[in-house]
Amino acid sequence: MHGRQSIWKGLISLTITGLLLGNSTSHAAGDPKLGADMFAQECSECHSVKEGKNKKGPSLFAVVGRKAGSIADFVYSEPMKQSAISWSADKIDAYIAHPRQVVPGGKMKYDGLEEEKDRADVIAYLSTLR
Amino acid sequence: MLSGPNYGCRQAGIVRHGLTAVFSLLLFGTAVQPAHALPSFARQTGQDCAACHVGAFGPQLTPYGIRFKLGGYSDSDGKDGHVPLSAMLRGSWTHTRTDQAGGAAPHYGSNDNATLDEASIFIAGRLADNFGAFVQTTYSGVDRATSLDNTDIRYARQLTLGGKDTTIGISLNNNPAIQDPFNTLPAWGFPYASSDLAPTPAAAPLLNGGLAGQVAGLTAYGFWNDSIYAEVGAYNSLSSGTLNWMGISDDAGELSHPATYWRLGFFNDMKKQNWSVGLVGLNASLQPDRNGGPSNKYNDIGVDASYQFLGTRQHVGTVNARYIHEYQTRNASFDAGEATNLKGSLNELNFNASYYYDQTWGLTGGYFSTTGSSDPTLYGPSGSPDSSGYIFQADWTPFGKESSWHAPWANLRLGLQYTMYNKFDGTSSNAGDNDTTYLFAWLAF
Repeated sequence: MHGRQSIWKGLISLTITGLLLGNSTSHAAGDPKLGADMFAQECSECHSVKEGKNKKGPSLFAVVGRKAGSIADFVYSEPMKQSAISWSADKIDAYIAHPRQVVPGGKMKYDGLEEEKDRADVIAYLSTLR
Repeated sequence: MLSGPNYGCRQAGIVRHGLTAVFSLLLFGTAVQPAHALPSFARQTGQDCAACHVGAFGPQLTPYGIRFKLGGYSDSDGKDGHVPLSAMLRGSWTHTRTDQAGGAAPHYGSNDNATLDEASIFIAGRLADNFGAFVQTTYSGVDRATSLDNTDIRYARQLTLGGKDTTIGISLNNNPAIQDPFNTLPAWGFPYASSDLAPTPAAAPLLNGGLAGQVAGLTAYGFWNDSIYAEVGAYNSLSSGTLNWMGISDDAGELSHPATYWRLGFFNDMKKQNWSVGLVGLNASLQPDRNGGPSNKYNDIGVDASYQFLGTRQHVGTVNARYIHEYQTRNASFDAGEATNLKGSLNELNFNASYYYDQTWGLTGGYFSTTGSSDPTLYGPSGSPDSSGYIFQADWTPFGKESSWHAPWANLRLGLQYTMYNKFDGTSSNAGDNDTTYLFAWLAF
């Protein structure tokens, strides 16, 4: 009985640890320094990280945690305005992986960042912008 | 414009009266000059100049700039009130290795001349949904005249074809290849600025500015899946009256039937880097005498390629190359005794590479070569059209970036360019006498 309890405890603790790690490795493992370079390469043509500076895309200053379509001085697409997305790390990850799947009909003309590690780096960088 | 090889003289077949004619044809070249990054585009889109242009100043396009052009100059930030107007000034100082007897141009000395190269006003940007224009009117300080310059008016639509994003459009323009989105063909090739007060080689394929400003053409194009580009169109001569009204000299003669233009390209944008390869063709029959008579036929076919490393945009490198072969059948020149041979050919090779640091400091080096079949009557004393040499340029572009002073209104490039000739109009001896130092200041707002 005692042995069985230990196995269950072990399995539960492994599962919880795995979930926590799984949640954190996709984002927290990102390197913001590498992310800054990846951002410069993939995103900076259309997005500024300066507060209030909108280009073809909206400013990404403090984007993590922001509600989609919430910058007053930027003209969003209707699908983006209606998306009700809150830009959590997970949502950003999904969006920059497949923009057109997450917001069909949106304005962003970007095919997506394929590598999970690259996305994690970019998100780590965006998380520093506060 | 007495510019570098990319915008040199008209094709040799219309050289009729020796050096005088060559000189006047060179001057005619001022009618259409390479155009540049336009702040009105930046104001319209909210983008920096550096988003569309290598080195934060035109005309060398990045993939973003290529898409903007193909989209009909109409992409915007979605806001109203953008005025599609820009202006540009370029002043320069030119030194040639030896003095030019009689002056570099009327009103100028034989050497070390300072001048206003050009002052231009542009209607450039979105005019309606999917519809935009790039129309340049230029005052040439050397010619002391104003004329209609580069013109490219577009309508473009986005659609899905075979499940892939596709841009289709039409362009009304006044120079074959002025509408091209890549950085390799003569209309947009390096050097992007050159002296109007220096000698340049006489022979060049028709595709290298031979019809610039003299024609109106309509082309249709498609850009499929961000990779395959195809275009076809036709050009016809403008009437003498129309050219006169636009301030353009009626020097090139008249197309006896519409000239055909076609283009195929493959483009691969990997964000960090991109490359393209292409083919281009122009077929024209040019009648020197508008009142009638035989024509000179030109069949140009070219191949081109480009590569850009963009990375984080701190270190940017580019390579552009083209090769054009031209078949000539000189019925008119032969009949008039201006050519010894009925048939001939020209080959133009142009290769250049650039490096830009921080989208501000630039170095470019280029090689150019024109070779062809000899003709003792057509090509003057040497009987050969051959010219070749190198062009080196260093430039500084302090503005045009996101954080630049008064962006996107203030744009400046200062450049120093040196052209050296190994061969000039068929002769190697004294070719270096034409070597040119060109110092320029270029403003756009």
